[in-house]
Amino acid sequence: MGVNWAQVLFNSAVTGSLYLIGAVGLTLSYGLSGFPNFAYAEFMTLGAYMGYFVVRQLGFDIYFAFIAAFLACGILGALAYRGVFRFLANRGANKIHLMIGSIALGFIIRHIIGDIWGWPPTTFGIIWPGFDIGPLRVTDLWLALIFTALFLAVIMHLLLTRTTTGKAIRGISSNPELALASGINIERVTLLTWAGGAALAGVAGLFWGAIASISPLLGWAMILPVFAVTILGGIGSFYGVLAAAFIIGLAENIGVVALTQLGLSTEYRMAIAFIILIVTLILRPQGLAKAFRRT
Amino acid sequence: MGLLVYSLDIVVFIGIFAIVALSLNLEYGFTGLGNFGKVAFFLAGAYTYAIVMERTGIPFYLALIIAMLVSAGIGFLVSLPALRLREDYLAIVTLAIGEVLRLVVKTEDSLAHGVWGINVPPAIHWSGMSVLEMRMVNIGLVYFCLILCFILVQLMTRSPYGRVLRAIREDEVAAEALGKNRVKYKAQIFMLGSALAGLGGGLYAQYMQYINPYMFMPMVTFTVWIMVIVGGPANNRGVLIGAVLVTLFERGARIIKDYLLLPIDPINLQYILFGVLVIFLLAYRPQGLLKERQLETKAIEGVQQWKNRSSE
Repeated sequence: MGVNWAQVLFNSAVTGSLYLIGAVGLTLSYGLSGFPNFAYAEFMTLGAYMGYFVVRQLGFDIYFAFIAAFLACGILGALAYRGVFRFLANRGANKIHLMIGSIALGFIIRHIIGDIWGWPPTTFGIIWPGFDIGPLRVTDLWLALIFTALFLAVIMHLLLTRTTTGKAIRGISSNPELALASGINIERVTLLTWAGGAALAGVAGLFWGAIASISPLLGWAMILPVFAVTILGGIGSFYGVLAAAFIIGLAENIGVVALTQLGLSTEYRMAIAFIILIVTLILRPQGLAKAFRRT
Repeated sequence: MGLLVYSLDIVVFIGIFAIVALSLNLEYGFTGLGNFGKVAFFLAGAYTYAIVMERTGIPFYLALIIAMLVSAGIGFLVSLPALRLREDYLAIVTLAIGEVLRLVVKTEDSLAHGVWGINVPPAIHWSGMSVLEMRMVNIGLVYFCLILCFILVQLMTRSPYGRVLRAIREDEVAAEALGKNRVKYKAQIFMLGSALAGLGGGLYAQYMQYINPYMFMPMVTFTVWIMVIVGGPANNRGVLIGAVLVTLFERGARIIKDYLLLPIDPINLQYILFGVLVIFLLAYRPQGLLKERQLETKAIEGVQQWKNRSSE
């Protein structure tokens, strides 16, 4: 059976775009605060359910869903940082305490979502008709996802290189003491990063919910590839994540082709991200970040 | 009668999860290793036991030992890439291995019948055995293992070896400077902890007599963590109390679900409350119900005597 490689590449771009939007906030807040926030998965889930709320329950257009997901998750991210993580850190919690706290917060959010909207998987009920561009089969949704990711990449690049806040993020991530001594308001920058990152996670969750289906476990199912992207990219590095998201997107889509040819279940798609994660930790635990000059 | 059988069921569960909680206490409480994928080793033990018992006719205790060895082996493999790095990498890798192992047993139908689950023969069985006798036998078996584990963990952590573990937890660099190979110690503890979790998994499988991949969700890891945090990290007695309290609470939620009408599903509410409880415990009482006991060594006794004398 011939493989449509153009389609594989296009699918990789779709997957990579999703991972980029999903992982950028995680990596930046991980870099700033020094611990992985496992509740990040639930930010994505909430984004998807905001979409469900707006599209299915309020009956509005999906464009409003993106605004709702962005705002709701942004607020949740800020609350999570202020109400849980800074609270714990101020009371002398160590890194393991913060990680356990993030898992606890994830459980709280997941079960609240599960209680409000129920556990069975559901969908937005929108069908995205596919059409052909040359050899490619695409949908509006996939194109929108890729454009959103490109737009985000440009915005983030400008933000990190041209604005004071962006420079402060990079500064704190690489040397917190020096950043503090230079008069950077670490508190404000961290809060902004957590809120912005969570808002983007919500958008990623909404995209994923629109492509596949939504359930309270949506975010948890994405946590493996998103963490693999974060580690491969190098914690705290935007440019690392940019490269890693598309590398893992490509690896997964080529992997699916390989799995099919080998007669294995495509369920192992998730294991590909895991293998990349392990190989990165063995060979290059600092990730790709050092390959780029910035951060 | 029904009530007695039900209570005995809870007693068995407390025993099984106490073993897993002790193993996490060894890793996290004493050595400072954040294993966020406890369920992976629990799953490995349960499935190894089930598969070995299905395909061979060996006695159950050999199957339990094989389950422990397989779990320890997986623990060793997982510890290889992550133990040399910062603790957050270990957290991510262990969390990921839990997801991957569940994926494997779910997808590979030839291994253990995938999502349909696998039937497991009970360890000790005779014809005409009543449910009550069944539970009594299981209590005997599980608590025999629990007592052995408790004695093992207690002896280990109070020995010089245990003091090295605490030294590594408190200050890795200082322990290393004293000539203690921290990676070696951590790997040993990680393997032992995984083996004990595997034992818990094997006992769980034979008690349930049926396992499927959905019994090994990340919730299991979280539940065990709560037991340790509630009871008191680095205090084995505290962790036993934690196992009792958390299991009772969990069962209580299921009973309430059947008898009470609440505006919120009690099982959802239970996990929400668990989450809130953990955050508050971490903030206000990270040492748990029972504090870690001070070391008892000749040197510390000497210091105490000297202090008492000088204060007179």
